[in-house]
Amino acid sequence: MNFLRLLLMAIVIVGSCFLTVTYSDHHTPTNATAFEDLYMHLMPAPMLSSQEHHGAEDTAAADDHGHEHPAEGAGHDTKHYVFAQSLGFLPSLMDGAPDIDGTQLVLTNLQVFQIASILLIVLAFSGVPGYLRTGRGDGMTRVLTGWILWIRDEMVVPNLGADDGRRFLPFFCSIFFFIAFMNLMGLVPGSVTPTTNIFVTLALALITFFSMIGLGMKAQGPVAFWKNLVPHVPAWMWPMMFLIEVVGLVIKPFALMIRLFANMTGGHMVVLSFMGLIFFFAGTDLSPMAWGVSVPAVGFGVFIMIIEGFVALLQAYIFTQLSCLFVGACLHPDH
Amino acid sequence: MIDPVETTNQVVDIAKFGAAVGAGLVAVGAGMGIGRIGAAANEGIARQPEAAGDIRGNSIILAALIEGVCLFAIVLSLLIVLGIGN
Repeated sequence: MNFLRLLLMAIVIVGSCFLTVTYSDHHTPTNATAFEDLYMHLMPAPMLSSQEHHGAEDTAAADDHGHEHPAEGAGHDTKHYVFAQSLGFLPSLMDGAPDIDGTQLVLTNLQVFQIASILLIVLAFSGVPGYLRTGRGDGMTRVLTGWILWIRDEMVVPNLGADDGRRFLPFFCSIFFFIAFMNLMGLVPGSVTPTTNIFVTLALALITFFSMIGLGMKAQGPVAFWKNLVPHVPAWMWPMMFLIEVVGLVIKPFALMIRLFANMTGGHMVVLSFMGLIFFFAGTDLSPMAWGVSVPAVGFGVFIMIIEGFVALLQAYIFTQLSCLFVGACLHPDH
Repeated sequence: MIDPVETTNQVVDIAKFGAAVGAGLVAVGAGMGIGRIGAAANEGIARQPEAAGDIRGNSIILAALIEGVCLFAIVLSLLIVLGIGN
């Protein structure tokens, strides 16, 4: 067992949780119920630090252009965004910091875990090329190699064919393990799952959408791709069928996005609701009932977390399998 | 994320009631669909135990697809509940 790799992976996970807990700030309205207070943990929180951005404890890449003003008057000390870069060309819908001028790209606690997922992929798979070359590797390397071969033989090659499958295998493996590691890290206490934010899953679905169209147009030719969407129908039905097929083309990645988002958010929300029951009862006049509720609530919470662990891997598998199906259908249409 | 809509109290309560009923119905739909998959899968495994692995793999994929459809409606109910405030 390669303990250095395990130690580095543990440092990445624990470090991300520590950074998130230390630097993130959840906006809770002051008269919130216990449930709303817990649900706010599902919203992305910008990373705020109470030091100046030239201070010694600033961890992320602080912007040196002086765009940081006192952002949140949290009590008596002012907090600055750890990273806020102004990008003028983005629409104001994507503004992460409404109180600073210009459209700001802000480091939130979601990005920390996405970066951590990528670092985990790099660390976990670092022994795989050596194992494939020489046949010597530790347990985790062998398991991950077997996993990649399973992805290639069961998901990619049956849908894309042998040579296209080998070309696009890194793409699908990246999607699978990125989503899987992000979802699994969300089970660690103190963490945030990036896939509970619909914009993260939107980005992943857009990757699938543009690869469907781009690779399809490259493989079949730009005009032939759009013509081959529609099966052979009489000419008077063609406009309606074309509209239906184009809507289907857009809806399939949209369904991917909603499925991943809702599964992850739903699991977290159920666990948070069970925990919120305890605090809800503690705040009412029946507060000894909170002690009584706590044992079943934690029991149910543990049970749901077990299911969530399974759902995390399953949703990564479903996303990748359907992406393979869609891209394969666009590369090699059967009508 | 979503701007609250200024409405009267009674309309807000009825809207939230509607969202809650909708979410409950969605659970019924998901249960029925996945129940049928479970019944067919168990029957298939009983007829031909060697195909248990294939049937299990297929059942999981189909159950996740059905759940995806039901989660559309759950997300809608969530949007209704979170988007209405006083």
